Amino acid sequence: MSGSPPAEPFRWRPLTPLLLAAGVFLLLSAVLTRNPVPLFLAVPLLLAPLAAGVVGPRGAPTVGVRLSTEGTGPQVHLYGTVTPPPGVDARDLVVGVRRPASLLGDRVARFTRTGAEVQFRADWYAPVPVITEIEPPPVVWRDPMGLVERAAVAPVEPLVISRYPPELLRIGTVRLERTTLLPGETRSRRIGDSGEFHGIRTARPEDPPRQINWLASARAGRRLANEYDLEKTGDLLIVLDARPTILGTAADEHLFSIARAAAVGLCDSFLAVKARVGLGVFGEFLDAVPLATGRTQRIRLEAALKRSHLTTARSPPERCAVSVRRVFPPGITTVVLSSLADDASADVSPYLRRRGYPVVVLSPSPLPLLTAGSTLSDEDERLAQRIARLVRRNRIARAWKEAPTIDWDDYWSLGQFVEFVRRPRIRRAG
Amino acid sequence: MTATPASPPDLELRPLTLGMLFVATGLLGYVSGFPGGIGIVVALGVVAFAAGLRTVSKRGIFAYAPVPVIVVLVLEAATAPAGFGTELLAGLAGLAFLLWLGDDPARPAGGAARSVPVIALPALALGIAWTSELFLPAGTVPFGVAGALLAVVLAAVAFLMGRPSLFDREEART
Repeated sequence: MSGSPPAEPFRWRPLTPLLLAAGVFLLLSAVLTRNPVPLFLAVPLLLAPLAAGVVGPRGAPTVGVRLSTEGTGPQVHLYGTVTPPPGVDARDLVVGVRRPASLLGDRVARFTRTGAEVQFRADWYAPVPVITEIEPPPVVWRDPMGLVERAAVAPVEPLVISRYPPELLRIGTVRLERTTLLPGETRSRRIGDSGEFHGIRTARPEDPPRQINWLASARAGRRLANEYDLEKTGDLLIVLDARPTILGTAADEHLFSIARAAAVGLCDSFLAVKARVGLGVFGEFLDAVPLATGRTQRIRLEAALKRSHLTTARSPPERCAVSVRRVFPPGITTVVLSSLADDASADVSPYLRRRGYPVVVLSPSPLPLLTAGSTLSDEDERLAQRIARLVRRNRIARAWKEAPTIDWDDYWSLGQFVEFVRRPRIRRAG
Repeated sequence: MTATPASPPDLELRPLTLGMLFVATGLLGYVSGFPGGIGIVVALGVVAFAAGLRTVSKRGIFAYAPVPVIVVLVLEAATAPAGFGTELLAGLAGLAFLLWLGDDPARPAGGAARSVPVIALPALALGIAWTSELFLPAGTVPFGVAGALLAVVLAAVAFLMGRPSLFDREEART
């Protein structure tokens, strides 16, 4: 629900017409039979809905909504608190917590109510890595008898959650290929081990005393250390292939959603070590977020990944490489996220490589999706799986000729990918 | 203030308001025009059935619990002969029904108490009507008045149902 008032805040509940109809019938009966008894029963039935409309809040009440999530890996624990305005009892608020379609678990949240606030909790889990939004729950004030209700205004933004394999959290320590200069930046002429000053970070136990920034530590009240470009990891470019494949829209969407979650994990991890991260989503054209670091860049990347979607048009892979070259300097480590479901989707990495980008391909495998929806007999199923595995292996092997390619078939584990990028010998293969 | 879990539905009978509804509906059934005590049996049976419906956790069925009670109240009131206190009994049955509605087991406890301000208005109107009937002389005039009131009520109901925004009030900006 947005922060703006709803168009029609006041609504009659279905019970109200029933009461009014009974009241009118009783009135008619009283007049026709000249019997006052139905008239006396009609009075409460007719007046109660009107009284309920008058006694409640006049206008859409503005409620305070606080949402937060906890949980690691696939677990998503949603906590929320709804606080009514003065004069409105929280026990009369009806809160509808909606589970995002990409999550599983509790269909109904567990509520704890007092007169002052409504607290709720829902335990969900993500079957596959995901980045999704939790919409603020719609809040409605409803009178205790259930005759009328008013939609409340909840001025709160949707909560974005991202769940990705936990191994990505330690991938940020990988040293990337190189760091490019920012526009206007010049290298320090000082010769030594430390190199160009990059920023200040929390000190680690192994930092020598000369690297501790004592002034900054005194100001912050905790030990901070200088960080230099030579110690810092390099730049990272993440390219998502958003073009359609032969798998069909549903499977493509699923794999693209997994790739987006992995991209969020990569961004989080490398931004945490102050690397510069850029993003390119290649559908019909390239939607790019230039290289940068910091919290603002994290928000930019997350917003770009949230709004990214599959395209319907198949565009040539050269266009991706040409567009990437316009925005990003060559030489930076590039991770291409592509399902490699058909030959066309495997063409991006060769073009990028020829234009000077060391490419690593992380390919979410479509095989778990294909086996999940099968209706074949056991024997045919085994045979089909074997053939699919062979086709997939062949495609990965062909992709390896152009760039290192990781087949990602266990969606909640990226240990293989992390181990791979940590090996400098293979990283140079790009 | 203690926290009370409200979802899933409590699935418990709220005895106070249910007892009031039993007594009021039973008495109205007793004085209604049904012969051989059928009125009271039907009334109590229907209320028990509705109370049972309210303990069912399936929301679709749960929502229909008030329907049989309304039907039986209308039938009893329409067939009850006029007499000293019968009119008041019908009105009290209507109020008991509203209190029972407010004590919804699927919602936090204390609904009946919170619905008292809503019920106060019908109760006040009921008191005025009963006092008027008790102290004013009977005749054909009251039915003429009732007929006029009926026309006004029908028009008002149609008007208010079509324009629920009339219940809204602009909040002060300061």
